[in-house]
Amino acid sequence: MVARLTKDARAVTRTAVRLAGERGERTVEAEHLLLACDLPDLDHSTVEALLEREEEQALAVVGVSRADFDLPPRRPRETAPSFGRSAKVALERALVSARDAGDRHIDRRHVALGVLDAQEGRVPRALRLGGVDIEALRDGLSR
Amino acid sequence: MTPVATSDPADELAAVVALRRLADELEDAAVGRAVAAGWSWARIAETLGVSRQAVHKKHAKRRR
Repeated sequence: MVARLTKDARAVTRTAVRLAGERGERTVEAEHLLLACDLPDLDHSTVEALLEREEEQALAVVGVSRADFDLPPRRPRETAPSFGRSAKVALERALVSARDAGDRHIDRRHVALGVLDAQEGRVPRALRLGGVDIEALRDGLSR
Repeated sequence: MTPVATSDPADELAAVVALRRLADELEDAAVGRAVAAGWSWARIAETLGVSRQAVHKKHAKRRR
């Protein structure tokens, strides 16, 4: 069985690349995929806020705050960002999700499940910190 | 600010990841300011401890 991305899933990955690029990132990561998924229970602005909070908390561990620095807003890069490891792993897991469900196509739900499968990294940290019930989300997406 | 007291590896590693992203942003901003101040790529590279080619590749094409 050849698993392909649906038109919607392709749009999600394109959006993820765009979002990463707009932020001046060099790589597309799992969090950009999640932002791009824009799920009803976990929309773009909610994820954005959760990620910001995670970053603040992570920096606070070592006594650093972004406010300590005079940082200009990030500007887009001339070249598109490449896929980073967390995004690649998420998409591999999306494929597994689709296969396990017996689906011939990887859709937006599978991409989200692939992202939400991660146990470690920025996304699970951000979600846990925000009190998001990841299991409930995954159950909802699996149906 | 005072650090949050923790020896949890998960927290420490998350801090490393966040610091790397922050360092990246700082580099972008500082290189931008250096270029605006008339620094040569060679001088920026030497300050960063990398080759001129590396800094050029990383930063020269960034501006739109």
